[in-house]
Amino acid sequence: MAVFNLKKREIECKIVFYGPGRCGKTTNLEYIFRAYKKQVEGEMVSINTEGDRTLFFDFLPMELGKIKGCDVRVQLFTVPGQVHYSSTRKLVLRGVDGIVFVADSLDVRREKNMQSLKDLQQNLKDYGLNIFKIPLVLQYNKRDLANTGMPIMSLEKMEKDLNRQLKAASLPASAVTGEGIGKTLQESLKLTLQSLQKQFNWAQK
Amino acid sequence: MSKKIKSLLQQAKLYRSQGLMGEAEKKYKLVEELIKESDQLPNKQKLLNGLSKKIDSLNKEVKAIESAPTTPEMSEHVNELIKKLFSFSSKEKNESETALEGAIALAKFGQFEGALEEFGKLLKVKSQKFSAAKNILRCHLEMGDIESATDQMEKWEKDNMFSSDQLEKITVFFDDIVDKKGLRKELAVSKEPEEKVASEDELENGEEFLDISAVAISFDSGPYKGEQIELDVSFQSGNVISLIISSKDEALIENMKVDARLDDVHFYSPVAIFRGAGIVSAMTQIKSGPKKGDYSLDIKIESL
Repeated sequence: MAVFNLKKREIECKIVFYGPGRCGKTTNLEYIFRAYKKQVEGEMVSINTEGDRTLFFDFLPMELGKIKGCDVRVQLFTVPGQVHYSSTRKLVLRGVDGIVFVADSLDVRREKNMQSLKDLQQNLKDYGLNIFKIPLVLQYNKRDLANTGMPIMSLEKMEKDLNRQLKAASLPASAVTGEGIGKTLQESLKLTLQSLQKQFNWAQK
Repeated sequence: MSKKIKSLLQQAKLYRSQGLMGEAEKKYKLVEELIKESDQLPNKQKLLNGLSKKIDSLNKEVKAIESAPTTPEMSEHVNELIKKLFSFSSKEKNESETALEGAIALAKFGQFEGALEEFGKLLKVKSQKFSAAKNILRCHLEMGDIESATDQMEKWEKDNMFSSDQLEKITVFFDDIVDKKGLRKELAVSKEPEEKVASEDELENGEEFLDISAVAISFDSGPYKGEQIELDVSFQSGNVISLIISSKDEALIENMKVDARLDDVHFYSPVAIFRGAGIVSAMTQIKSGPKKGDYSLDIKIESL
């Protein structure tokens, strides 16, 4: 849960990148780490296992500077996507303020996307959070693979599969090339800070 | 043929580069089948040998991933970070509560040695020592070190660290984990638990089902063969959903019989669409009201 220090006028929030295994959550954070050097506060921490699979989480702290009279800090996390790391995923999700759901555009990963979204909904529910109410951005990653001739899903199909009822903000992206990553982060931050404004009324008018 | 094989191999290579080993293997197997079935390929055996090498190397990679430790010992820096990031109490308000949460986080991430050290410190804090003791036992048992756990309990008893009531609760807690983990045989002196207390995660909440708002049924026979029919859900009770079929849709009514199995159903939930199967459990004609004459169809969800 976000921490708001009224005296120091500081707000710290947590955004979690969620999604099925190998969908590109870590690659998202790696790109952000490289592209937003000025805002990154310290190092990116990755706890990986064999084959570069996230074992526990990735962590990237950022300092966004003053926004509406308040120092804004954001902690970016990824969860391990592999199905059997369910309890770790839930642990990382605790205290989340905003979510980026990274969906894999590869045709063969269609079911995994749906299962992961279902898993997210259940884990949020266990924490008393509603997937319809939490600041959520859907990112349709790996769009660049279309150029390789690999079968990928159309954006319409992904919208129908994942966003038919959620009606969350959604963006195409490629974490490898960086396309859409900044926009995803900006959208997520915007929604998260708007939501926190309702809770804490932190912004100075 | 060779073009198709090349394309499949290219796909397998890309899946592999993405870390999607299962998908890569499927493509390799497909290539294998194609080569075996083909009569036109001149160098079949050579191709099969090459493919076999690729599959072997893929399997080795999968094995290395599967056998990698799931809870490797982390550096002190990472452990400090875990404690900091996963303790949610305000440090200013309650330092010992924060310390307990941090130690629990370490244990949850499998960092048992580091967690034991932290819990050990918390044994000296009156408000936390009971929780710390239970977590110390949990850590030892998670590491499969039943002897250290029993030694620890004996020491607490000897040192009068806890009241008899607390000690009893700790014993029940210990016995519960031992039973759950099937470690009773390993206990030097077997002692049956006096009272079995179910932990929170042991309590069953009953199976929960997602709310289904609509379904799309694909038919592989009958008048709708090859088509997909979308219907709204009018009512849901657990894993049984009710749909209304218009009396005008005679073909669909004809297609639906009680006990008919629907193997390809898309269930639309507020979260996403899930593919699964269902069985027609009831079908009755509505006798009154605005839907009079239409049919109410119940489908029991078999899998989601």
